[in-house]
Amino acid sequence: MAICQFFLQGRCRFGDRCWNEHPGARGAGGGRQQPQQQPSGNNRRGWNTTSQRYSNVIQPSSFSKSTPWGGSRDQEKPYFSSFDSGASTNRKEGFGLSENPFASLSPDEQKDEKKLLEGIVKDMEVWESSGQWMFSVYSPVKKKPNISGFTDISPEELRLEYHNFLTSNNLQSYLNSVQRLINQWRNRVNELKSLNISTKVALLSDVKDGVNQAAPAFGFGSSQAATFMSPGFPVNNSSSDNAQNFSFKTNSGFAAASSGSPAGFGSSPAFGAAASTSSGISTSAPAFGFGKPEVTSAASFSFKSPAASSFGSPGFSGLPASLATGPVRAPVAPAFGGGSSVAGFGSPGSHSHTAFSKPSSDTFGNSSISTSLSASSSIVATDNVLFTPRDKLTVEELEQFQSKKFTLGKIPLKPPPLELLNV
Amino acid sequence: MSLFGTTSGFGTSGTSMFGSATTDNHNPMKDIEVTSSPDDSIGCLSFSPPTLPGNFLIAGSWANDVRCWEVQDSGQTIPKAQQMHTGPVLDVCWSDDGSKVFTASCDKTAKMWDLSSNQAIQIAQHDAPVKTIHWIKAPNYSCVMTGSWDKTLKFWDTRSSNPMMVLQLPERCYCADVIYPMAVVATAERGLIVYQLENQPSEFRRIESPLKHQHRCVAIFKDKQNKPTGFALGSIEGRVAIHYINPPNPAKDNFTFKCHRSNGTNTSAPQDIYAVNGIAFHPVHGTLATVGSDGRFSFWDKDARTKLKTSEQLDQPISACCFNHNGNIFAYASSYDWSKVRTPGPALGAPRQQSQALGSEGLGLSCDSSQDSRVSLGRSPSPPCKGKLQDFLKWLWGFSTAFGQNPAHRKCSASVSHYGLLCSWAQKHRQAGGCTL
Repeated sequence: MAICQFFLQGRCRFGDRCWNEHPGARGAGGGRQQPQQQPSGNNRRGWNTTSQRYSNVIQPSSFSKSTPWGGSRDQEKPYFSSFDSGASTNRKEGFGLSENPFASLSPDEQKDEKKLLEGIVKDMEVWESSGQWMFSVYSPVKKKPNISGFTDISPEELRLEYHNFLTSNNLQSYLNSVQRLINQWRNRVNELKSLNISTKVALLSDVKDGVNQAAPAFGFGSSQAATFMSPGFPVNNSSSDNAQNFSFKTNSGFAAASSGSPAGFGSSPAFGAAASTSSGISTSAPAFGFGKPEVTSAASFSFKSPAASSFGSPGFSGLPASLATGPVRAPVAPAFGGGSSVAGFGSPGSHSHTAFSKPSSDTFGNSSISTSLSASSSIVATDNVLFTPRDKLTVEELEQFQSKKFTLGKIPLKPPPLELLNV
Repeated sequence: MSLFGTTSGFGTSGTSMFGSATTDNHNPMKDIEVTSSPDDSIGCLSFSPPTLPGNFLIAGSWANDVRCWEVQDSGQTIPKAQQMHTGPVLDVCWSDDGSKVFTASCDKTAKMWDLSSNQAIQIAQHDAPVKTIHWIKAPNYSCVMTGSWDKTLKFWDTRSSNPMMVLQLPERCYCADVIYPMAVVATAERGLIVYQLENQPSEFRRIESPLKHQHRCVAIFKDKQNKPTGFALGSIEGRVAIHYINPPNPAKDNFTFKCHRSNGTNTSAPQDIYAVNGIAFHPVHGTLATVGSDGRFSFWDKDARTKLKTSEQLDQPISACCFNHNGNIFAYASSYDWSKVRTPGPALGAPRQQSQALGSEGLGLSCDSSQDSRVSLGRSPSPPCKGKLQDFLKWLWGFSTAFGQNPAHRKCSASVSHYGLLCSWAQKHRQAGGCTL
């Protein structure tokens, strides 16, 4: 029989009724049984069903001649099984309901979330093992916004950096910076692979709301040319501009929950992590981008009412002073109350984020904070425990936790014990 | 068809042209190597438009130079001229009349090179390296469009030092393509914007990226009426997305496919995933070519959604590709694209480690930058095959010429360059060795 040209192009009007042969259509409806006999012997239900997966269908036998070049082609497998039609990737199918807001977790949505998370884990594994370019943003579902924690650096930008450092004879710093970037990436990937609750929540809110990319001028392309050549260059600039990038320095999942999740508002700005770039970032606004729920701190500002506006002011006023004493981490549990109590707090929403960046840059513009923070960053980085047991606290720390307010100079470095938190 | 129907013609002979005993994979496809290749990685290639008789090839490289060759029908390449920038050249393009070449460079400028006078003048200025440059010829205006890492898209009348128009991008511009009246720009953070250029350039639509990772290259394709109707977008994850602007059925018409992976369709085993460095559409047949960091190039038919051909693996990544105006010649550049920035991973073929100047493996610093950079030409023979389904396969035959040559080391004081030409002439049977010029 003649092979139907229109079918090959995917637009045969007759579908099953077509008198010409539709090659490979047989394999398409593998799972679907068509009771009646088809004259052309294919199982397609009709050409206008969106469930038709073209990736399985078109196996034009006349293309067999090109198989010597085309790579392996099984008889059973569709010829271009590597093709995914836009709507029918496996992932997408699992996320059929992904358009739903995650507000209420119906069983279906929970299943989707699960699939989403599984997909992310799988993607991370593939990313690591495949050796593909690591400095790239990533999004679990095609049309959705990026997951935070990854920055985009193109190979050309990296190479240009190399060239610049070459001329300044400072290759070692280039190597260091690249190594740092790699470590950051690796940490983030590992984080996503071993999903604990905090990262999960963060991810879900990322995917749902979109990560707020406020001024993500990554160091390479930023107009801050001066900072460009500084030794810690990528880390510097990236962290100074993008709130989400701060998680790089620690393996704490930054819960970069973006706007619209007031419940997640009061989470802990992991300042320690933020300031890991020792070369003095002027805008420490990103410091707030962490909100790693596990990192609890006893900050003097109250997170009880996480209204965007109110967050900014009390937080900032109290901040510089408290920062000077050491890493400040906000208490997690009391602030949250609602929903997932370990909600990834991170960057509190788009507009509020900008509200942060301004005051923060005013108050933080000195490197002393960052240095003090960086000193303690190592402590922060290794501390993964959500709450310290009571016995591990010193008397002084216990006292601090028990008192109404922290006294400056005595703010504990460890998270408060579970018992003391009033949820 | 019978001439090239078997695989024996393509690069299966083990003898190396240069007589070395080791397997030399720099030109497995036995394609024509262009003489006087640039000394450092080639970032961009461009063939002259049809208004110019003959074929002229422009290549911009990381050695800060732009070179021009004339490619004769015999396959012989004659170096014609060269211009320098003060920074690596990231993109080149021709004007529509073929008299001028525009070059975009990391020195934040773009220059216009008048070929007849061999003078180059600066026509554009940005705050950051200029990543893309395209010539726009509209009925009521013509200008140069430059996209840069300073997140702006600027349009320049070459006579004035102020841009005609500046459009803001959401992020750094990574790649762009223009076929009047459509322009597509892909930015960092998976941004994707389509512009319409009629009357004056304006943003037409922002598109959600169909890919999950960083965008790397984009190319617009046309429909049967020769109007731009969609684009192909490549990412660093070995995947290309075909996206139509106004398809009748977006869910069905837009799709993505995986390419430049080590395992092909066998996705169960861990595979190596390589970036897609360039996409080019055949001007006549509408088939697309992709080149990747794995050192292979592939031809695809997006309407039938099939892979047509994949080349043998070269020993270096292929960083750029280009068709000539009638689709008879396919040029691809084999040079390091900085993709190996990671802790030592699987080697890419048999990379030639030519200098250990930096001595640090795996961070993309060692030797690779001084590896050979080559541009190869593939010539398509007259179509031997008949049959309605074969017309878009015609141009494949006779393609694939790899460049291989030994570029001068950047670090070595005595540069040794072999300018060898491997002539694989499509019309002749592909004989091992062919004729060497």
